[in-house]
Amino acid sequence: MGVLQKSKPARYSAVGLVRRGLRGDTWPRVWREVPLKKSYDVVIIGGGVHGLATAYYLATNHGITDVAVLDKAYLGSGGSGRNTAIVRSNYLTPEGVAFYDRSLQLYKTMAADLNMNVMFSERGHMTLAHTDGALRTMHWRAEVNKLQNINSSVIDPAEVKKLAPSLDTSSHPRYPILGALYHPPGGTIRHDAVVWGYARGADARGVEMHQKTEVLDITVEGGSGPDGKGPGGTVTGVRTSKGDISAPIVVNCTAGWATLISDMAGVRLPISTRPLQAAVTEPVKVFLPTVVVSGSLHVYVSQTDRGELVFGASVDPFNNYSVRGSLDFTEELASHVLELMPGISRMRLLRQWAGLCDMTPDYSPVMGFTPVQGFLCDVGWGTYGFKAGPVSGEQMAYCIATNETPELISAFNLSRFAAGELVGEKGAAAVGH
Amino acid sequence: MTRRLPAQAGEVINRSTPLSFKWDGGNLSAFEGDTIASALLANDKRIVSRSMKYHRPRGYLTADFWDPNGFVQVGDDPNVRSGHRLVENGMTIDPQNVWPSLDYDMKAANGLVGRFLTAGFYYKTFIKPQAMWPVYEKVLARFAPGGTVDLDTPHGYHDKRYAHPDVVVAGGGPAGMAAAISAASLGARVMLVEHEHALGGHLRWGNAEDRRLLDELRGKVEGAGVEILTNSTVTGRYEDNWTAIVQRSHPIAVERLIKARAKVLVVAPGLIERPYVFTGNDKPGVMLSGAVRRLINMYAVKPGERAVVFTGNADGDAAIVDLERVGVTVARVVDARQGENIVVAKGGAKALDSVELSDGSVIEADLLVTAVGWTAPTSLLNMAGDRPVYHAGSARFYPSAEIHNVLATGGIAGDGDADQLLAHAEATGRLAANRAAAVAHRVQDLTARALPVQGPEPTWPEDDRQSLPRDSHPALFRSTTHGIVDYSEDVDSKDLVAAAKEGYDSVELLKRYTTATMGPSQGKLETVNTVAVLAEARGETIQEVGTTVWRPPYAPITLGALGGRVFEPVRVSSIQSWHEANGATPILAGAWVRPDHYGDPAAEVTNTRTNVGIIDVTPLGKLDLQGPDVPKLLNHLYTNKWSQLPVGSVRYGIMCAEDGVVLDDGVTGRLSDNRYLMTTTSSGAATIWEWAENWLQTEHPDWQVHVTPVTSGFTSINVAGPKSRALVSRLVDNVDLGPDAFDYMQVRSGTVAGVPNCFMWRIGFTGELSFELHVPSGHGLHVWTALLEMGNDLGVKPFGLEAQRIMRLEKGHFIVGQDTDGLTKAPSLGMNGLIKLDKDDFAGKPELAWAMEQSLPSLVAIQTTDPAEVPTEASQIVRAGTNEILGRITSSRMSPTLDRSICLGQVLPEAAPAGTELTIVMIDGRRITARVMEHQAHFDPEGQRLRG
Ligand SMILES: Cc1cc2nc3c(=O)[nH]c(=O)nc-3n(C[C@H](O)[C@H](O)[C@H](O)COP(=O)(O)OP(=O)(O)OC[C@H]3O[C@@H](n4cnc5c(N)ncnc54)[C@H](O)[C@@H]3O)c2cc1C
Repeated sequence: MGVLQKSKPARYSAVGLVRRGLRGDTWPRVWREVPLKKSYDVVIIGGGVHGLATAYYLATNHGITDVAVLDKAYLGSGGSGRNTAIVRSNYLTPEGVAFYDRSLQLYKTMAADLNMNVMFSERGHMTLAHTDGALRTMHWRAEVNKLQNINSSVIDPAEVKKLAPSLDTSSHPRYPILGALYHPPGGTIRHDAVVWGYARGADARGVEMHQKTEVLDITVEGGSGPDGKGPGGTVTGVRTSKGDISAPIVVNCTAGWATLISDMAGVRLPISTRPLQAAVTEPVKVFLPTVVVSGSLHVYVSQTDRGELVFGASVDPFNNYSVRGSLDFTEELASHVLELMPGISRMRLLRQWAGLCDMTPDYSPVMGFTPVQGFLCDVGWGTYGFKAGPVSGEQMAYCIATNETPELISAFNLSRFAAGELVGEKGAAAVGH
Repeated sequence: MTRRLPAQAGEVINRSTPLSFKWDGGNLSAFEGDTIASALLANDKRIVSRSMKYHRPRGYLTADFWDPNGFVQVGDDPNVRSGHRLVENGMTIDPQNVWPSLDYDMKAANGLVGRFLTAGFYYKTFIKPQAMWPVYEKVLARFAPGGTVDLDTPHGYHDKRYAHPDVVVAGGGPAGMAAAISAASLGARVMLVEHEHALGGHLRWGNAEDRRLLDELRGKVEGAGVEILTNSTVTGRYEDNWTAIVQRSHPIAVERLIKARAKVLVVAPGLIERPYVFTGNDKPGVMLSGAVRRLINMYAVKPGERAVVFTGNADGDAAIVDLERVGVTVARVVDARQGENIVVAKGGAKALDSVELSDGSVIEADLLVTAVGWTAPTSLLNMAGDRPVYHAGSARFYPSAEIHNVLATGGIAGDGDADQLLAHAEATGRLAANRAAAVAHRVQDLTARALPVQGPEPTWPEDDRQSLPRDSHPALFRSTTHGIVDYSEDVDSKDLVAAAKEGYDSVELLKRYTTATMGPSQGKLETVNTVAVLAEARGETIQEVGTTVWRPPYAPITLGALGGRVFEPVRVSSIQSWHEANGATPILAGAWVRPDHYGDPAAEVTNTRTNVGIIDVTPLGKLDLQGPDVPKLLNHLYTNKWSQLPVGSVRYGIMCAEDGVVLDDGVTGRLSDNRYLMTTTSSGAATIWEWAENWLQTEHPDWQVHVTPVTSGFTSINVAGPKSRALVSRLVDNVDLGPDAFDYMQVRSGTVAGVPNCFMWRIGFTGELSFELHVPSGHGLHVWTALLEMGNDLGVKPFGLEAQRIMRLEKGHFIVGQDTDGLTKAPSLGMNGLIKLDKDDFAGKPELAWAMEQSLPSLVAIQTTDPAEVPTEASQIVRAGTNEILGRITSSRMSPTLDRSICLGQVLPEAAPAGTELTIVMIDGRRITARVMEHQAHFDPEGQRLRG
C-alpha cells in the first residue's frame, strides 16, 4: 500500500447504486488506510467534525494537502458521533449569530459539496417558554436575531400546538407552555454522514486519516515553561502511539480532551470537561415534526426519520471523563419529557450514552492562535459544537493558511479571558445545543 | 387452535381458563398463560410482522422476549414483545409496520430492489437536487418501523421504590436460584429478579429431570426468605452497584422502578441462543432450538410438521427428541459436529418449503431448527466496566475481569453438568453474602442482615470458586451463503462485508454505517454474528476485531417506569386558599404559584401609594443562619461589609459569582448575637443555599455556621403604604413601632395578631413605608385576614406581583435575572458603594477589582419620548439608523403613579450618560426614541417615602 496517491472517489448517486447493484460491485474505500509518515505540513489532532472539516477546507480552499488527521480511536468516536445533531443559528449575541448562520449556510449545500447525503432536515427548532422570565429571554433572542436577518420569532401556544400536537399546551399546572421561540431554519442532520463526508472529501484531495493513532505528547522548543514548552515556544511536532511526527503546525481539535492536549504544548485553557448524556427510544411512527427544547425542564427532543425519539439534557454538574450513562439522568429525563408530552409513557428507552463536553465560562469556543507558535486550537465546543463544524473548519483553515485570524472568529480568541471580553452565550446555549 | 398439542406435563398454560383476543382484526382464542406468540402459533398464525427495509414476511425466530420479529401493537402500547407478553382476555393485538396488511403488502416491492438498497444506500443517494431531500425524507419517514403512539395514552400509575438489599441476583434460572438460596442461608437479604413470568430459566422447557430440579430449587428459594420478583428485569447497573429493576408484576402499578443499592450483584442471566447466518434464514419457519422447545414443552404448540434440525450442541439434540415426541417428522438431522452444514432455506416469500444442505441435497420441510450456540448477555457486567473476551474453543464470549462487587455465575460463566453449575452458583451465593457483609461493615450499614457489622473489619473474602469448564463447540456464525444478520434492521451479511470493504471496518463504524445491532432488539442476538462477519471480512480473529459491549438499559424500559409518578410539585403559601377565593389571577414564579393581581394592578398600586396594601411574599428565599462565624460567611458571600451589623438591624447586599456576575441580592438581618435571617430572591432561594453550603463545606469547613432553609417555614407578608404603621401597630402590642424606636432597615421580633415568634423588618421593594412580617407558616392565613379586618377603615387592599413589579420599577429597583443577565457584573448596577474591595477575600473579589476599572454596560432608567409607548421587555436599543445593538430594555411598564411609560435598560457605556437619546426597535419593527434618565428611580429618588 506504499504508494501514496490521491484516490479518485466514485461519485455517489442513485444511478451508481443501481449499476453496482446489478454488477454486484462494491464501492471503493471512503478513505485510504496508509502508513504514517515522518512529517507533515499540518497535523490535526482529533478526527471529529472539527478536525475533519479543518482538513477538508485546508485541502479544498487553500490547496494544503500534506495534512494528517490523527485520532486515538475511530473517526467520529468523540462528541461528533455522540451528539444529538441539532443545528440552528438563533443564538443570543451578534458574534454568535453571524458565526452559526455561516455554518447553517454550509450545511445547506453540504450534501452536494461532499457528494454525500448528510440528511439535513430543516424541520424547525422550537424553544419553549414556561415562565414569563423565559418568554422574555425568547423575545430577547428573537429581537437580536431579527436585527441580524435570522428567521426567528416568538410564537403563542396555539401555534406551538399546531407545530407539535404531542405537546401539552393546556394550562398545565407545573410547566405551562406560554410560548416558544421558533426558528424554522433549525433542524437536525445525520452526524456520522457529516464526519464521513468530510473524511472522504479530504481523503480525495490527499489528506491522510490515521485512526487508532493516539497523540502522547507535543514537542515544543523555546517556550518559557518546562521542556521548552509554553508561551513563547514554537511547535516542532507530535509523538504518537505509532511514532513521532514533525510538523510546523499542530491543531488541537479534541473537544472533551482539549486540555489534556493543550497541556502537552504548555498552553492552559479555561476549559473544564463534563459529560453530557443523551438517550434514544425505540422507533414508533413519526409524530413529532420539529425539534423541541425546554430550558426549564432541561430537555430537548427530536424524532429521527426512523421514528426514534432522541433526547438530550444539560451537562452533568461535575467534571468527569467518564462516558457511562447514569440512572438518574434517565429518570429525570423521562419525568420531564412526560411533563411535555404526557401521551408517550409507553414508549421505551432503548439506549443511553454520554459524551464529553469541553465547557468554557462563556459558552463560546476558543479558536485560533495560542501563545505557542504553530499550535492552534479549535476547542471549547461544549454542548453546541456539532453545528459549528463546517464554519469552524473553514475559518481554521483560513487561519492556518494565511496566518491571520478571520473576522468571524476574532471574538473567540483565547486572549479574551485575560482581557475580560467574554461572549455572552450562556443564556442561549445552556440546554439549547 | 389448530396446532395445540394434548395436555402434557410441564406446560404453563391453564386449559381451564380459555381467553379470546383480537389479532389483526380477527378473533382468536388462547389459554391463560399463553404468550401472544404461543397463542398466535397455536392458531397457526406463522407470519407476525414484516421486515423493516424490504418488508419481507417474518415469523417467530426465538419466540421469547428477544425475538426480533415479534413486535406487535397491543392497544395503545407500541412495540410489545409478543414472545413475552401474556395474552389477556379481550386484548386487541395488531401487527406493526405492515401497511396495508400482513398478507398483501405493497412495500414488499422493496424486496425486488433489495440489491440496490445496500446498507447505507441513503448516504449515497437523494443528494441532488438538494431541494428534493425533504420530499424523500417524508417518504422514508413513512417507512419508519415500530408501532403507533396514541398521544392520548393516560400516564397510568407508575411507582418507584428504594431498596438496600445485601445481594441482588439478576436471573432466576437454576444458577440464580441456587446463588440466592446459598446467600440467604448465610443471612444475606437477597432480591432474586427474573425477567420471565416464573422462575426456572431453561429448566422450564426442559425434560422431566429438569422439571424435578426446578421444583426442588423453587421450593427451597421460596422457603429461604428471598424476595422474589418475577416478570421483572434488572435493566441497569450503575456506579457503586446502583441497580435498576423494572417490576412489571406489581399488583397496582403499571410498572415499578426499584432502585436498589446492592452490596453485591450476582449476574446469572443464562445464555441467549444465537441465530445462524445463511440465505433464507429469515423465512417464516426458521426457528432456533430454544424457540421450538419452549413452544412444545411450555405451551403445547406444535411448531411444524416436517423439520430439518441443524445442530451443533446438546440443545439441538434435545429439540430433536421433543419434536419427535410430539409427532413432528424430523426429516433430517444436520450435525455441525460432523461437518455437515445447511446452505439455503428455500420457499416462497411466506413460508419455508425445503432446506438445501452443503452436500447438495434438498430436504422438504416446513420447519428448520438451528442450534448453533450461544451469546453471553454480558450487559450488566459491561456496565460495571467488564470487557468480555472471546474463547475460540467454545465459540463464545466470557466475562474477563473480576469486579469486586459484581459476580457472574451460570451459563454466562461457563459450562458443565448440573452439579458443577449448581456448585458454582452456590459458591457464588456464599461469596456474595460474605462480600456483602464486608461491604456492610465498611459502610457501617446497620440494616444489613448478612453477618455482624460490629467488630474488626473482616478480611475481604477472596474468590475461591472453582471455575466452570468450557465445553468445546464448533464456531458456527455464518454458512457459506449470505443471510440476515440483524433481523430488526434488515441488515444482511453481504451488507456488512461491503461496508467493511468500503472502510467502515471497525465494529463501531460498521454498526453506525449499517445500523446493525442498533435496532430495538439491541443486538442481543446480532452482535456476535456482526463481529464474526466483520472478522471474516477483515481476515482476522473475532478477538482481534473487538469485543461486544452493551450500553444500558439491559432491556428497553418505558418512559412511564422511569418517570414514575412525575412529581413536579408546585409550591403555594399558606394564604393560597384565600387568594383563590378572592379572585387572584395566578402566575407561576419559579416553583411557586402566587397571585399576579386581584383584578386591577394599577388600582393596587395607587391604593398602596395612598393608603396601605399587603402582599404575600412567602416565596422570598429565607435562610436561618446560626453560629459565631455567620459574619464571616456573610462577608464572603456579599460584596459589602457585615462584621459590624448590630443586633436588630438589617442590611442590603449583592452577591456575585467568582466571575463577578451578579448572582442574587437581598437583605439579611441580625436577630440576636449568633442568629441571622437571610432573604434571597424567590428564584435564587435554592441556588444561594447551595452556594453557601458549597463554600462552607469545601473551602471553609472550619467556620461554625449552620444554614437552614426556612423559606416555607415562614409566611411572609409585606405591609406597604403611608398607613402601614397605623395598620401594623393595631396587631402588635409588645413592640414599639414608632419611627424613632423602629427605624428603616431594622428588625424586631414579637407577637403579631396573637402569633408569637414573628419577625418584622422595616424594608420594602415598593418604595413606601413598609413592614415585612415573617410569621410561622401555620399562622400565615390568620395574620393575613387579621390585617384585612383591622385595616378596613384604613383602606387596606391586597396587591399582587404585578403591582409590586410596577412599584419597584417606579423606584428603579432591579430584579436579578431580569434586569441582569449571565454577564452582568456588579459594577453595571450603579451601586459601586456596595462593592468593598478593602475587605478580605470574598466571592468574586479579584474579578470585581478588575471589572471596576473597565467600562461596562450600565443599568439605567429610560423614558420614551412618547409617554404612551411601552416597549416590550427585550426590545433592542440600536444606534440610530443602523442595526448595531447598543443595549436592550430589561423592564418596562406603564406607571399609574406617573401616568407614563417607564423602563430600565442595559446600555453600552457610550449610551449610558443621562440625557442620551436612544433608538428603540419595537417588536413590530417600528423605531421610537427615548432618553436616559438622571436617576435610576423614576419616582421619589430621594427615598422620602420609605423612610417616613
Ligand atoms: C450527548 C451530546 C449531545 C450533543 N448535542 C449537540 C447538538 O445537538 N448540536 C450541536 O451542535 N452539538 C452537540 N453536541 C456537541 C458536539 O457533539 C461537540 O461539540 C462536537 O462534536 C465536537 O466536535 P469535535 O470535532 O471538536 O470533537 P470530537 O468529535 O469530540 O472529536 C475529538 C476527537 O479527538 C480524539 N482525541 C482525543 N484525544 C486524542 C489524542 N490524545 N490523540 C488523538 N486523538 C485524540 C478523540 O478520539 C475524538 O475522536 C453534543 C454533545 C454530546 C456529548
